[in-house]
Amino acid sequence: MTSPLEARSLSLVREGNTVLDGVSFTVAKGEIFALLGGNGAGKSSTLLTFLGFLDPSGGEVLVNGKSVGSDVAGARNSIAYLPEAASLYGHLTAYENLDYFLDLAGKSASKDQINVALDRVALPQEARTRRLQSYSKGMRQKTAIALALLRETPILLLDEPTSGLDPVAIDEFHDLVKALAEGGQTVLMVTHDVYGACQVADRVGLLRHGKLVGSFAAEKGQRIDTETVHAAFAGRPHFQTDAA
Amino acid sequence: MLRHLSRETRFLAKDRGAVFWLLLAFVLSVVAVSFGIAEVREQRETIATLIEEDAADRSNALEGQEDWGSAAYYAFHLTYAPPSDFAFAAMGQRDSSSWKHRVRMLALEGQIHEADTRNADFGLVGRFDFAFLAASVAPLLLILLLYDLRASERTMRRHDLLVATAGSSRSLWLPRALVRVTALALLLLMPLWVGSTIEGTAASLTLQASGIVIGSLLIWWLIVELVSRIDASPSILLTSLIGLWLAIAILVPAVSKAVIEAANPVPDGGEILLLQRETVNDAWDLPKEATMDPFVERHPEYADHSEIGEEGFEWKWYYAFQQVGDQVVEPLATQYREARLARDKQAGVAAWASPTSLVERAFEKLAGTDARSMIAYEDRVRDYHRELRAFYYPLMFPEEPFDEELLSGLPAFTPTS
Repeated sequence: MTSPLEARSLSLVREGNTVLDGVSFTVAKGEIFALLGGNGAGKSSTLLTFLGFLDPSGGEVLVNGKSVGSDVAGARNSIAYLPEAASLYGHLTAYENLDYFLDLAGKSASKDQINVALDRVALPQEARTRRLQSYSKGMRQKTAIALALLRETPILLLDEPTSGLDPVAIDEFHDLVKALAEGGQTVLMVTHDVYGACQVADRVGLLRHGKLVGSFAAEKGQRIDTETVHAAFAGRPHFQTDAA
Repeated sequence: MLRHLSRETRFLAKDRGAVFWLLLAFVLSVVAVSFGIAEVREQRETIATLIEEDAADRSNALEGQEDWGSAAYYAFHLTYAPPSDFAFAAMGQRDSSSWKHRVRMLALEGQIHEADTRNADFGLVGRFDFAFLAASVAPLLLILLLYDLRASERTMRRHDLLVATAGSSRSLWLPRALVRVTALALLLLMPLWVGSTIEGTAASLTLQASGIVIGSLLIWWLIVELVSRIDASPSILLTSLIGLWLAIAILVPAVSKAVIEAANPVPDGGEILLLQRETVNDAWDLPKEATMDPFVERHPEYADHSEIGEEGFEWKWYYAFQQVGDQVVEPLATQYREARLARDKQAGVAAWASPTSLVERAFEKLAGTDARSMIAYEDRVRDYHRELRAFYYPLMFPEEPFDEELLSGLPAFTPTS
């Protein structure tokens, strides 16, 4: 069966620097895969290759079995992307932002549908008609997640999605992502938050200097062991990993 | 595409910065068109008043005259170039060249070149008319509307989200820019269309002018598009584009003007005037043949009537030395005319290096306010003066008896437009 997301020996060289070096992984339908790594490990670059913003120097990335290079628009249509510190338009309200971005994606939604999505991300009713420039970072992030929900794409790419959120908002966000995956959406998230990745992901891949150096999968009904992943992330010896 | 345009129109309406620049464009256009119409109306009123007063004045001057020389001497004749029905959009050379003269049967070139322009300051700084707005200000407004379309989104870290959501850059940036360019074009052109309707401008002319404005905006859009593809901050892009605008709109025209003027020296109008006056004044003290010989050379048909007594005053001698005054300055006047035409021709070629100059020249041509139109008016004045001489000389030189009735056959000036 074709995996919604696949990286095959993905390499990326930018301005003479090796950003990614032979990275391979697949993300199955309904799976949450977290790529964990420090600053400059190549996490966001991996996401950008799936979106067609960066061309691989070697290997390839596939979305629904098709090489992104051969059909960028098709890949982007299948993906809802939530960048780090999602900057929607500050001069527009939540409704106006969602209306604009949905239209941009070639979709439309009624006000009721938008309200359902905003209810799911727990954005307060009174805030929805306010301009986003008055929002907290968490509220802006919730609006961006609502956009991802409304787009109803089979794949979700999340770049440091909980960065700057308070613990309650992080828990709510994790619950939401799990619910989406249970509903069949494939999630690839990149983060440097070991705890968060182990909380939400079915599998965690560890990126270091552009190489996938380890992979950790949750036991059935269990969470990934945070201590083990943290040890690996910190570069301590003798950690156990699964095959990537 | 319509869906994209509709989305971006709604988006534009919420962008206060863009709305401000668009409203400014509209206000400036209304002001430029209104000033233009007011100026044209004032010029038409001036001409109408002059026509009325000229007829009455000439009638008074001719009344009671007893010889052809006195009649020709005291009667003034109004000549004028009325503003076209599109002149409100581009006053062009009407600010630096005279569009009305009251001429007499005296030496003509001095009469043409003694006239001051109505407001010499305008000749230096130019006028805020629609042509200036379309040629110079509109590109600036376009730059302000487009320069940071991509760069501001990059700065706000929204670029990738936008493009990833849109699927392709084309379905995002093209409609976003197109809506802004279209809005700017419409807001600039609407006052022009209203002005054209008020002035009764031919639809084809208005259409051509609209095409020029749209073409200019498209060229500037291309320039902004090429520059804004550079991955730089909005402030660097704005600085680069303003620099480019300064070079294209100010520097290139100024340098080419200086080069063209240096390559085609034009004698001062004052030189022509002075030489002619000296020639005419000197004639009083010269032997009569010094005047009559060159006159007869030009008009051999009056050779038999060119005998002038050494003592006393004769009108035909007086008008002969007026004509000789014109003959003496003829090379200078021709040089003046030809050099202006050469300058204009070369400026037309140089304008291809500056869309700003190209638009201004195109508007002036449509409005009939370009250098060629003003030179054509001067030529028309010369033609008319020749007609006056052709009327009086056959009566004056053979010394036909004065007949006031014949004065009703005096040639009337008819403007070319």
